Amino acid sequence: MRLAPYLFAGPAVVLYVVFMLIPVLYAIWLSLRAYRLQAGGTFGRRVEVFVGLENYIGVLSDPELLASFGRLAIYGLIAVPLTLGLALLFALLLDVPAVRAKRFSRTAIFIPYAVPGVVAALMWGFMYLPSTSPFSYLTEQAGWGPIPFLTGSGLFGSLANIAIWGGVGFNMIIIYTSLRGIPDELYEAARLDGANELQIALRVKVPLVGPAILLTTVFALIGTLQLYGEPMTLKPMTNDISQTWAPLMTIYRDAFLTDNLPAAAASSTILALGTVALSLLILGIVNRKRFGARS
Amino acid sequence: MRSRLLATGATLVLIGAGLTACSSSSGSGSDGPVTLDFWGWGVGYEDVIKEWNDANPDIQVKHTDAGGGDESSAKLLTASRAGNAPDLALVEFTTLPAMIVADVPLDITDYVGDIEDAFTSGTWDQTRFDGAVYGIPQDVGPMALTYREDRLAELGIPVPTTWEEFGAAARAVKEKDPNSVLTSLPASELGFYAGVAAQAGSQWWSIEDGVWTVGIADEASLEVADFFEGLVRDGAISTEPLLTPEYNAKLNEGTMLSWPAGIWAGGVFYGVAPDTAGKWAMSPLPQWTPGDTKVAYQGGSGMIVTKGSEHPEEAAEFAKWFNASEQGNKLLLDSRQVYPASSVGQEMAAESEPPALMPQQTDFYQTAADISSETIPVTWGPNVNLAKSVFEDQLNKAIADGTPWRDAFAATQKAVVDDMKKSGYEVAND
Repeated sequence: MRLAPYLFAGPAVVLYVVFMLIPVLYAIWLSLRAYRLQAGGTFGRRVEVFVGLENYIGVLSDPELLASFGRLAIYGLIAVPLTLGLALLFALLLDVPAVRAKRFSRTAIFIPYAVPGVVAALMWGFMYLPSTSPFSYLTEQAGWGPIPFLTGSGLFGSLANIAIWGGVGFNMIIIYTSLRGIPDELYEAARLDGANELQIALRVKVPLVGPAILLTTVFALIGTLQLYGEPMTLKPMTNDISQTWAPLMTIYRDAFLTDNLPAAAASSTILALGTVALSLLILGIVNRKRFGARS
Repeated sequence: MRSRLLATGATLVLIGAGLTACSSSSGSGSDGPVTLDFWGWGVGYEDVIKEWNDANPDIQVKHTDAGGGDESSAKLLTASRAGNAPDLALVEFTTLPAMIVADVPLDITDYVGDIEDAFTSGTWDQTRFDGAVYGIPQDVGPMALTYREDRLAELGIPVPTTWEEFGAAARAVKEKDPNSVLTSLPASELGFYAGVAAQAGSQWWSIEDGVWTVGIADEASLEVADFFEGLVRDGAISTEPLLTPEYNAKLNEGTMLSWPAGIWAGGVFYGVAPDTAGKWAMSPLPQWTPGDTKVAYQGGSGMIVTKGSEHPEEAAEFAKWFNASEQGNKLLLDSRQVYPASSVGQEMAAESEPPALMPQQTDFYQTAADISSETIPVTWGPNVNLAKSVFEDQLNKAIADGTPWRDAFAATQKAVVDDMKKSGYEVAND
């Protein structure tokens, strides 16, 4: 019966190797290669050759890639705190005993998460375009002209808004579920000590759902680094989203438009390493704080 | 969750590899009927394939829609690197050189000798390089001006025949009706800017004795840049993106008055503003020098036989029938609804009804035939997609920041030359 553990682990290991390990190794191998011209035919032939770290040097010295991380940072600074703040607020409100129509509110806030990202981005795109936007219609009626949703720095808010609209519900459910797990005795004790609902929320609930908030923060940051669908969907509607607006858009362009898969593989590897580093950094900081508080 | 991102990078690669699985390898035994796989985008293939397969039981063709021009060519590259490309594929003229250096198409010069007269030399030059034929042209998009006949007449503005008149017309539109605009020419339209630069005598790519010259920022192109920059800066024309809900609303309202592009523009407009049919007309594209008649192509595609095909002769047979025969061209016109590249197809078109957007313009196809009788031979480089991407981003940045368009053209030139040198091409530019 020595075989049993292997049989149980088998499917997971096979899936992991086939769909994770091999593709990752292949991507890394590909990132060390490039298409170079060799003699032959009318124009010559592009063949795959080994170029070492050349793709990494190219990617890291591309000012556009750096600029795209800058844009992500601005976007993230708007989207992440607002998404998590609103999610926490709604979760706390739903957890107040006196609140009515909880089930309905919970579903209503959660529904946007069920809308596919591209559909959401398209729908918001229509609400941003001056001639179809209900918001711009109102401001135009008031004589202020259309709202510049899709031009200049207005873009950051518009893109973040789509993410917030879609993300609050999901994060709220995670925090709310964590809130439901807090034993009632703690609230009873707090009330006996004279705490009101607000004090209970801030002093009892928020610290106890800390792990859930941490989890959603890491999710949100990774989601930010993977920003792709929203800018890609809005791109045809505005001149202000370039083909290299977000890092993943550059990777897509290199892989599928300009036939430079090796460069795309190199950028992907860098982005993946960056994400791992960022996640570890955040977890590290938080863990140190917690241990610091305990000691 | 960390691994999710690793997976993203990896799946990009995986998708690329997976796509190849979509194409089934062709071919049966030695003597039985041959089955050819054919990738092409657009409408109307059912009729074409049925007609051919019924008449040729020994050469059966199987059609797959592998996505539009861009997606299809990306998939074709991957499939052919993986060794399972289809036998035949439709390829845009702009990406054909990139396909050739990737070793995708077969040199079919030996198979096409008997249809040499079916195309004008300017059209052959879209698929013939240094004497080697890599594909058979299917459809072309000679450049023309598609415009709102009723609105221009109402504003008392004559149809421009030169770019100077075009500029004057654009300013007149703004003056007489500030809500309307003559046209929008956004940075995404590399094909347009390359076409009008070619009219001005520029060659964005050229090759001689294996050495490339890139002319995206040559004097003629920079003057073209200055001209359109002036119009945009004065607010005479716009650079808003094409075919957005916003743009389409303007077409329907009658406040977007023209589109200088391939003659296919009317078909595109009919798709988004069918109610405006009868109000549009097509005229030859404005010229830089009065009296000139030559225009470039914007868009168009040809059919290639791939190197991996086990039945190149049969594949070439089908491609010749589809694109150069009378029967094939009738199907191109009626079922595929494209403007044929061959002279025989264009003659047939001259007798057919005008397109749905301009039913009143009975001389539409005659005008089209006149325009295509002499076109400027344009050579596309091996990295047009990179040029397109850089040009779009740089020109949009110049428009947004108010910096000279010349700089955007120069930046595109630099990126294109650097990329070519890095890949190992010999380039004459510094």
